[in-house]
Amino acid sequence: MRRWVLLLAAMMAWNIAGYALWRAPRVDAVVPPAEAPRPERIVSMAPNLTEILYALGLGENVVAVTSDSDYPPQAAGKPSVGSFWLPDIEAVIAGRPDLIVTLEIPQQTNLVVRLRRMGYRCLGVSIWTVDEFFRAVETIGQATGQPVQAQSLVSGIRQDIRRLTETRAGKDQPRVLWVVQREPLRVAGRNTFINELIELAGGQNAIGPTLHKYPPIGAEQVIGANVEVIVEPAMTGGDLVEQRRQALAYWSHLPRIPAVANGRIYVIDPDAVSRLSPRLCQGIESIAACLWPADSGG
Amino acid sequence: MNSLLSPRMLLTRTIAAVVLLVAVMVLCSLVGTQTVSLRAALAGPGSPTAPNPDYEILLHVRIPRILLAAIVGAALAGAGAVFQAVLRNPLADPYILGVSSGAGLGAMLAVVSGVNWTLWGRSPIAVFAFLGALGTVWLVWTIGRITGKFHVTGLLLAGVVVNACFSAIIMFLTSVARSQDVYATVFWLMGNMAEEDPFVLWASGGCVAAGLVGLFFISAPLNVISFGQTDAQSMGIHVERVQFITLAISSFITAVAVSLSGLIGFAGLIVPHAVRLVFGPDHRQLLPLSSVMGAVFLVVADTIARRVVAPAQLPVGVITAMIGGPFFLILLMRYNRRVYWLS
Amino acid sequence: MTTCIRLNQVTFAYRPELPVLKDISLAVETGVFLAVIGPNGAGKSTLIRLLAGLLRPQSGTISIDGKDIRSYSRRELATKVALVQQEFVPAFGFSVSETVLMARTPHFSQLGFEGREDRRIVADALAMTDTAALAARPLADLSGGERQRVFIARALAQDTPILLLDEPTSFLDLKHQVAIYDLLKSIQREKARTIIAITHDINLAAQYCDQALLLQPCSAAPEESRTRRSLKPADHYRVGRTSEVLKRETLEEAFGIRMFSVPVGIENVFLPLGKMAKDTGRAPLSNTM
Repeated sequence: MRRWVLLLAAMMAWNIAGYALWRAPRVDAVVPPAEAPRPERIVSMAPNLTEILYALGLGENVVAVTSDSDYPPQAAGKPSVGSFWLPDIEAVIAGRPDLIVTLEIPQQTNLVVRLRRMGYRCLGVSIWTVDEFFRAVETIGQATGQPVQAQSLVSGIRQDIRRLTETRAGKDQPRVLWVVQREPLRVAGRNTFINELIELAGGQNAIGPTLHKYPPIGAEQVIGANVEVIVEPAMTGGDLVEQRRQALAYWSHLPRIPAVANGRIYVIDPDAVSRLSPRLCQGIESIAACLWPADSGG
Repeated sequence: MNSLLSPRMLLTRTIAAVVLLVAVMVLCSLVGTQTVSLRAALAGPGSPTAPNPDYEILLHVRIPRILLAAIVGAALAGAGAVFQAVLRNPLADPYILGVSSGAGLGAMLAVVSGVNWTLWGRSPIAVFAFLGALGTVWLVWTIGRITGKFHVTGLLLAGVVVNACFSAIIMFLTSVARSQDVYATVFWLMGNMAEEDPFVLWASGGCVAAGLVGLFFISAPLNVISFGQTDAQSMGIHVERVQFITLAISSFITAVAVSLSGLIGFAGLIVPHAVRLVFGPDHRQLLPLSSVMGAVFLVVADTIARRVVAPAQLPVGVITAMIGGPFFLILLMRYNRRVYWLS
Repeated sequence: MTTCIRLNQVTFAYRPELPVLKDISLAVETGVFLAVIGPNGAGKSTLIRLLAGLLRPQSGTISIDGKDIRSYSRRELATKVALVQQEFVPAFGFSVSETVLMARTPHFSQLGFEGREDRRIVADALAMTDTAALAARPLADLSGGERQRVFIARALAQDTPILLLDEPTSFLDLKHQVAIYDLLKSIQREKARTIIAITHDINLAAQYCDQALLLQPCSAAPEESRTRRSLKPADHYRVGRTSEVLKRETLEEAFGIRMFSVPVGIENVFLPLGKMAKDTGRAPLSNTM
């Protein structure tokens, strides 16, 4: 019996000693951007963050990016820190960064905690909607000492958007089905940034409000939604023409849908629509080209 | 190998195993996605504005992570050996009495409920997984006892029932939760090794070590119980008390391991089995050696997981299964005379 | 001769309506080799388990060495009574010496290791059961007879005055059966132990045991009670010297079969004769008694 008591006492003493030695740590609060010195070495943890940094003129300060940061082309040549969903902390540290810009997604929050614990300065932004995108640009601008450039980038994009939406004002909004996956059939719901782009392009989501962002749906719902246009982002690196042929073949099993009957199935380049980035307007235009083919002359 | 165990033999073997562990840990700390030179690291931490990356990576990324892998590996293998003994089943693993579904449910609840408080630096998902794991074993124990005091089959069946119920609840939560919550839970549960802060390593290391020492204290009666229950009773062993203590301690260290790194399979199943094949079933030896070899196993597996498809990282569980399977098969073939299956 | 084990009006039932043992009172003296005999379902194993402290009687008392069995702690009882059940191969590959050593576990040091005295006792037990040559071999490698001897060695290592055995020779061939009985007899003589063994072999029991306990089921099956006379309380069990208990008439009634018996020397030999046996109807049913 005595040895158990001793064991328990030893364990408690050990834990108390540990607490005294290291004390439960508190994760450092984010350093307010205004007070921090202007960063020279920046690591970007997501492709759209890379685009933002370059758009703010900080290309030279970017020392490492994620492997999927493919735009602008100069970024692709930078050292890699893993992908945005599987970051490599060693590579981040090896880049000796002053600032690490991250997205507030579950895959990266853990990374941020670890880096902050080591004393690195991290900035986390949320880019789920167009508004959040603009705010993110401004936050990044503040943190990197480029508030003016950030402001002008934001207002520039806002102007472009206004220009694009004005031309569509008053027109009927085509009902769009945005297909992210064919088997099983998954589409973009109303609570996604895609939906925002669709609406900015003058369309409306054929699917009603859903709980999930990218819900799986059944053929019944597709028929009931009275879809007028089907848009599918292409698989990266694929031949657009070939993929459109495959899409047509797939959708031929539901010939009653207006979109299929009228042949309004489009496969578009995914680059500008896979994330919210400074090429936002490019994305809107590519969607608009599907909705109003007459206007784009195609 | 079947001569009686003496304290000296045990000590020699344990020390040899520990030396092996230290050597493996040192070697593995030199492996990672970046090349780190020991000399550069020895230059020191550098200044706050210009930290020394070699030092940072070695000391703040690799070594804590290796220590974590060692702690988790030791806990899982030690608990695995004990579960196999109490349940008299060489195919038992530490998750068999509901720990996996309990931890999963805890993790799911933590993420879905969105609570934010941390305990001693542990994230809510880790805390809830720990509580879930422990609570589930307690539930299984209570239900299992309904079938009779020492009834091992009752325990196993209760474990199956609880696992099934909790899995159903988890599936329900998965279908109604936000996809990013689901992703976060699944990703966490898949098994992940990330360096932790010193206090967490110190405390969990201490708890696991204390648990393993406690299990060692009770290894001799455990030998008798693993032989047969009625036999143990008639030889003066308090079967229920020993069962309770061993299950409580091993569930505790398993829960600690799960809260540190999610669910890593295979380590708790094959390491004790392999050690038993080589050194025999005496738990006074099996327990310490399994723990140390479990630590070695997981450190190596984690290192491979970090390196093999760099810069991406495989979940550790993939590597443990891939190493564990064939390795075990080879051992089995070489020592097949020592494998006894209940006829 | 002191009384080692005493049962006083012991009743036990697994299910409330069906008692297996009813009002059993008997006294076993120290150093006696007692055979427990009876048809299946008579309660022989139940009795052994009660004596080993694995079961608690619904009523009545059992005392070991003058003390109520309930007042013994599990560990104390293990120093008085050792139980040998049918041999089996355990899930893990323990060796013969590891197995026998297990009996000494309650005596181990704080760190869980045996002492010199424990090792000596184990060596003695191995020598006595003629299993010393097998010491390093895993149990699964042995024959059934060898394994049974190892289990007996383990009980010996427990160093208890009382040894209980549940059918120690089932599934063993003749040579091994006799070997086991010789072993038990020498244990009784050389170590002055009290031995109680359940056996189905009436003839070996007659030759080796001093006393016999003949048990019959106390709750007769419904169809049987129609064809047989209803059991008197005295028929539930009968205990005494082997020559008194093992008689043709009592055995015939207890087992429900015809028996042929013939004296050998001090004891008789009993041969059950069924309907189709060769010598049914030929041999005179009994030559004596």
